[in-house]
Amino acid sequence: MNGPSRIALAALRQNRAFAKLIMDGCTWLLPHTEIGSLESTLDIDHEVQVPHSIGAIALGGEWWSVYCLSGELQPLPQIPNSRRTCALLDNGIDRFGLVCDQVEMLTEAPRLLALPACMGLPDSPIQALALLDDRLGCVTTAEHLAARLATLAALAENNDER
Amino acid sequence: MSADNSKESAAAWMLALDDQHRAVVGERELIHLVERPTLLEVPLSPYYCRQAMLWNDLLLPALDLAAWLHGQVGNGHQKLTGIVAYQSGQNVSYGALLLADIPERVQISDSQACPLPEYPSNWDQLAISCFRQGEKPIPILDLPYLFGGGLLLH
Repeated sequence: MNGPSRIALAALRQNRAFAKLIMDGCTWLLPHTEIGSLESTLDIDHEVQVPHSIGAIALGGEWWSVYCLSGELQPLPQIPNSRRTCALLDNGIDRFGLVCDQVEMLTEAPRLLALPACMGLPDSPIQALALLDDRLGCVTTAEHLAARLATLAALAENNDER
Repeated sequence: MSADNSKESAAAWMLALDDQHRAVVGERELIHLVERPTLLEVPLSPYYCRQAMLWNDLLLPALDLAAWLHGQVGNGHQKLTGIVAYQSGQNVSYGALLLADIPERVQISDSQACPLPEYPSNWDQLAISCFRQGEKPIPILDLPYLFGGGLLLH
């Protein structure tokens, strides 16, 4: 594990509570403090869109852009029927919503494991892995998901220009 | 084996990466075999390393080098993993290789050195050298490079 990864893992281990976001059977873990609110997908206004969002939710006098991603964090054009919950993520800088199949709060802090060096694609939002029962959860943050959304938007723009 | 021969030759393990491709690691690099391992999926990982496994309380990446050689996601026919150990800086690190069959012990020597196979053309990204066994060139795997993320550069 290289230096920056070790620092990121140490910082994540300071978090005692994580939220579990399930999308297409993939489990993503975020610090509990970054979950601003949980809303129903029925509350999404599909008329209020920014590029690559599926709509927005009004909360606290603001519009929160909402995105629909696959379990592998690829954009989905339509919301699958299984997505019932919208997690509004807020780290003080990045604010957006992500529609999920299920969102749970973990009652115990999971043991975080470093992502093996040969598995970390460039710009991967995965900051660590966590063993949850018989599967792995991917640990990330709102900042890294926002960066992922920005990368996806840039890729889509490049493709549109071709 | 004579004393002179033992200086020139070394024991190694020949690994079946799939039903076509063979590669070698040093005798002490292969430390354990796990039959029908429980492999855990990791999203957003490279196509040749989509899974990891727990071994001795360590999370090990499971490299499918046959997938790398074919340039596409593997067929999942490998039913074994070989746990390998390699030097990583001052430490010993561990990884897992998906295998199609039980490794075979071989003796190799400098006199058997030969060029890497021409096909598939991407053997040079996996191997540090190659030796000939019979008519077949068998590459020697560069484990620190493979598990250190070297393939992500290609």
